[in-house]
Amino acid sequence: MARIGVDVGGTNTDLILETTDKDSIGKGVFEHKVASTPEDQSIGVMRGILEICEKAKLDKKEIDLIVHGTTVATNISIEGNGAEVGMLTTKGFRDILHIGRHKRPHNFSLHFDVPWQSAPMVKRRNRIPINERILPPHGEIERPLDEQEVRAAVATLKERGVQAVIIGFLFSFLNRSHEQKAKEIVQEMMPGAFVCCSSEVVDVMREYERFSTTAMNAYVGPATYNYLTHLSSELRESGIGADLRIMQSNGGVATVESCCERPVNILMSGPAGGVIGGHHFAQLDGEQNIITVDIGGTSADISTLSDGKIQIMNPRDSYVGGYPVMVPMIDLITIGAGGGSIAYVDEAGGFQVGPRSAGSVPGPACYNRGGTEPTVTDANIVLGRLDPDEMLGGDLNLNPELSAWAIKEKIADPLGLSVKEAALGILKIVNNNMALAIRSNSVARGVDPRDFVLMPFGGAGPVHGPALAAEVNAKAVFVPPAPGITAAAGLLTTNLQYQTTRSLLCDLDTISDENMTRMHDYLELLEEEIEQKLRDDGVEPENMMLTRLAECRYYGQGFELRAEIPAGELTREGVKEVIKSFHQAHETDYGYCFENAVVELVTLRVIGNAESKKLDWPLSEEAGTDDLAKAFMYERPTVCDDGQEHMTPRYRRKSLKAGQRVTGPALLMQHDSTSFVPPGWSAKITKHGNLFISKDQ
Amino acid sequence: MNQTPVNPITLQVINGALKTIAEEMGHILYRMSFSSIIRESQDLGAGLFDINFQTICESESTPMHIGSIPAYLRGIQETLQGGEWHEGDVVIHNHPYYGSSHSPDLAVIIPIFYEGELVGFSGNTAHHIDIGAATPGLIIDVGDVYAEGMLLAGLKLYEKGVRNEALAQMITYNSRASTQLLRDIEAQVASAQLGVKRFKELLTRYGKDMTFSAVDQLIDYSESILRQRIKEVPNGEYRAEGFLDDDGRNRDDRLPVVVTVTVEDEDITVDLTGSAPQTPTAYNVPFEGSCKVAAYAAFRKLLLDTHTSGTPVPSNEGSFRPIKVIAPEGSIFNPIFPAAAEARFTQCNRMIDLIIKALAPVLPDKVIAGSSASISFASYSGIKDDGDYWVFLEVNEGAYGGRPQSDGPDSIDNLMANTRNNPIEDLGMHLPMICDRYELRDDVMPGAGKYRGGIGVVKSQRMLTPGSITHESERHYDVPWGIFGGSDGAVGKTEIYNYASQDNITQMPSKFSGHPTQAGDVMAYYSPCGGGYGNPLERPAEQVREDVLDDFCSREHAFEVYGVVLDEQLGVDMVATLDRREILSRIASE
Repeated sequence: MARIGVDVGGTNTDLILETTDKDSIGKGVFEHKVASTPEDQSIGVMRGILEICEKAKLDKKEIDLIVHGTTVATNISIEGNGAEVGMLTTKGFRDILHIGRHKRPHNFSLHFDVPWQSAPMVKRRNRIPINERILPPHGEIERPLDEQEVRAAVATLKERGVQAVIIGFLFSFLNRSHEQKAKEIVQEMMPGAFVCCSSEVVDVMREYERFSTTAMNAYVGPATYNYLTHLSSELRESGIGADLRIMQSNGGVATVESCCERPVNILMSGPAGGVIGGHHFAQLDGEQNIITVDIGGTSADISTLSDGKIQIMNPRDSYVGGYPVMVPMIDLITIGAGGGSIAYVDEAGGFQVGPRSAGSVPGPACYNRGGTEPTVTDANIVLGRLDPDEMLGGDLNLNPELSAWAIKEKIADPLGLSVKEAALGILKIVNNNMALAIRSNSVARGVDPRDFVLMPFGGAGPVHGPALAAEVNAKAVFVPPAPGITAAAGLLTTNLQYQTTRSLLCDLDTISDENMTRMHDYLELLEEEIEQKLRDDGVEPENMMLTRLAECRYYGQGFELRAEIPAGELTREGVKEVIKSFHQAHETDYGYCFENAVVELVTLRVIGNAESKKLDWPLSEEAGTDDLAKAFMYERPTVCDDGQEHMTPRYRRKSLKAGQRVTGPALLMQHDSTSFVPPGWSAKITKHGNLFISKDQ
Repeated sequence: MNQTPVNPITLQVINGALKTIAEEMGHILYRMSFSSIIRESQDLGAGLFDINFQTICESESTPMHIGSIPAYLRGIQETLQGGEWHEGDVVIHNHPYYGSSHSPDLAVIIPIFYEGELVGFSGNTAHHIDIGAATPGLIIDVGDVYAEGMLLAGLKLYEKGVRNEALAQMITYNSRASTQLLRDIEAQVASAQLGVKRFKELLTRYGKDMTFSAVDQLIDYSESILRQRIKEVPNGEYRAEGFLDDDGRNRDDRLPVVVTVTVEDEDITVDLTGSAPQTPTAYNVPFEGSCKVAAYAAFRKLLLDTHTSGTPVPSNEGSFRPIKVIAPEGSIFNPIFPAAAEARFTQCNRMIDLIIKALAPVLPDKVIAGSSASISFASYSGIKDDGDYWVFLEVNEGAYGGRPQSDGPDSIDNLMANTRNNPIEDLGMHLPMICDRYELRDDVMPGAGKYRGGIGVVKSQRMLTPGSITHESERHYDVPWGIFGGSDGAVGKTEIYNYASQDNITQMPSKFSGHPTQAGDVMAYYSPCGGGYGNPLERPAEQVREDVLDDFCSREHAFEVYGVVLDEQLGVDMVATLDRREILSRIASE
């Protein structure tokens, strides 16, 4: 069974190919990297797939599965070039998407931009009010849907050439009949258009968040659909019969069909692969508590994983491009800190790094492409932590003098520091920015980083590992074997996963028989829906794992926390369990719980998983006695965090085997990444080829 | 204290840590709280303060709270129970004549002790739905400050770690919504405790001397940036005036607001002399906790605009220092005890709006046209089946004036307000109310201009059971101004009618107290629309066409004011448009 993981990044498209004994070339793992093709990602993806097969001498027809992490949907949301979307909405409420939560993005500004008004996902002219009214709290119909109005509105939208239509009626989470009926009319009059209703995309209370999620689904819908179906047919035309699966924001993979229907689920497809890859490599060596830090050129993605579990964000906290998108996403934060982040001195003499980035054009000063501002990469070069002649195996022709010059001109001279001090300062500040983000994703939730290893990867990650670990008090640094393709590798380690929700508001402490029945029936429906999706994927019933969650709050609160519903038939005992675990969750998150307060159920959620085959990463061979000598490349001075310059040996990481120890200072070199072992630290290769770097006791 | 400068790197690290602490404090407070005014609207503030009551850091929540806590601390110092701070104390305070922003904004303050010594304070403020005032939730037409409800001054809810049960019980029996009130106070305590914990961690890491040297440097840094920006404003005296509808009782007495801004090198004085005398109702502004805070905020918006300047300026005492505020005692901006002073928001917003107007001649690229500069703060209440009260507080949005390079944002919280709305569906599921309409106004046009004014909101809330409404709003008479050729916006209005007879409309004044309602009564609030910026004839015809397609502008308005002629297919008739624009510009120049 030959499988390919292909992860598209801003600069590179990374690939990994795994084959087994049953394949013609035998068991193996191959890596490859091609330049990304932002104008059409599928070009790079196809090229990468064909090239990696060639590299491995594998007949492309033998590929069984391709798992793809894509930024297609993300980029549409960032670049604002989505579909022309029409909306049918309740009369009297045309501007829910225009008003949002009526909060400005800035407290202290007169010139602020309001993206949902200046560049709306659905233009006001295309938001057409319809007479209909559903009433809370039970969903009775006050005014029936005016189907004539729906027909007239659809005719207008059709004439305007909109490509996608959403239906968002108030209180549809109580009664979806109006939305469904309107959808039927749209489908009848505009066959081929992308149509979705708010109660199917995300069946939850809160009109703005529900409409916004639905609008995002439609906004990225047609282009994502086109991309995915185009890629599928390209594959078939090249004679590749492999199944194509897409990484979703929640860390599970899904079929192309499912992603075409709910493209809103793959907005964070890109960064999700990194977290999963980090998780996988840590699990190999039994590391349960990790903080993944995936550092690229312009940004870093950070996620905290406790007890070996990937955390999913509270949907209330999920925003994409300023829009609430209430779908499950891996709990990760992205900050503007990376190798290309620019250091500068502001008008009042403050020393700042990022979030502005030099990108790849002009790039860091040392790239000699016209960039005159110093970046984090320049600081690493000046301090001898990155070797200009070895970066990307020497493929980049870098000029270290330009790094020193930029730092002197822009930072050292204005602040009265030496170039070395300024370079150390750049690293200190960027590491601090990342550390603060790490803390907000960990310490802020009561997680103690001293029980965690910090896992840096992405090309620019490992060189920052020890300093970051020290800054957040993580117990050690853990670098995966192939930092540059960790995200691609993650694609071959993930499960199938689907989620679905249903809104049900009721007090749990005094739940009525009627609501017990409703809760029971809803859970059954949700389970059926998920099982059907897994069946469509060919999963046998015994391999389906279902988790049922109750999203609850104290009656009167505005934010829900999750409590697991015990497996099996729903009983009043089970409901008591839910209440108990909700109190616990509240205590964990806020350090306080209100034991006498009434617990209210808001949303039911069912998550279905099916394990897939995990990437079989080869064990590392045992280290030999003279490996270190063989791995030695050369030595050069490197400035460490104490400001001292140490003559520091460089070793080729590939040549270091399981059990090998390296004492700092040392740099471990790979084609696309450099790991730094500072003085007073040492590194050890684990049996799975991970690098464990810790402070000497 | 060690005054050696902290190196720029450590300084930046401490700055980041302080910012994160303040944000975390705010976050925990709104996540945990029960009343929608805190949890959904986020009408709160949180931060750390030094022993001289200077702001060290503050959360980015609602501007009206930012900068108000130092005044609370000064008031607490004067009234502190037992006169001394002890480890484990938790103080609650809301007395408007001892520094509070207004009485419903309760502060919770915890002293921070480090190695046995008082080093600072962790605290927050939050707006509570009912503290037992004369009318549920909000009050306007009352005679003195005692009608505002419980006045808590320097009281210890916890003394040396022990909860004062008597005080808690007193609060329980003096609020229409005591369960929510007490739980929300617990959320405030949790937030303040978190601030203490985090600040101590910082002190342990960097030592007291270095931390406080850094704090001082960060305050100086913010101050120096603001002073630099003030220096760029030409010296001089700048004046603007407007008026307020009424005081909530005497319907025909308009109340002048006069703002004189004096710029002298790197200092600014805001003088409110000439504004109305204090009113006999609660329509007065506590000077320390609200009036000064609003003036500070005005200059942060004007001179430290976080959207246009790339560098974030730390939110601390430094941004208050260069600004001096004068308001004569006995005036609406500085009332004398025991005048009531609960309804103070709209006056503050008008002051900021007029500061902007005053500086328009010298800062044409920084100012904007007149905004709604009011607020709609509504309190709906009734009696539940079990005999208890329900109270719902709602903040409705306004609109901005047109701006030098962009249209004024529509239906959005204005100037000192920056809350979040309460979801319509959440409301309908939990209270006997239903929203009938929530969208942009279509009964008037916003100020026309090269950049148009923002369009105000219309929100109609129906009460399903009998109850009462108190509404604090403004600007039914004084229209938001247009600037540099832009036309004026539109005034607001408030209507009440019954759902069963929707044509029988009562026009309400902008402020009313305890208005009794019947089942099916609807209050429809229409917020003012912003003024326009620049000559409407300079707005590209194609843009005006887009506005017409989106119903931001009617076809008639496009013709009358913008001089844009659209054909039957709503395409721009360029020839006719040029003619029309020529006629309009000739009329204008005459």
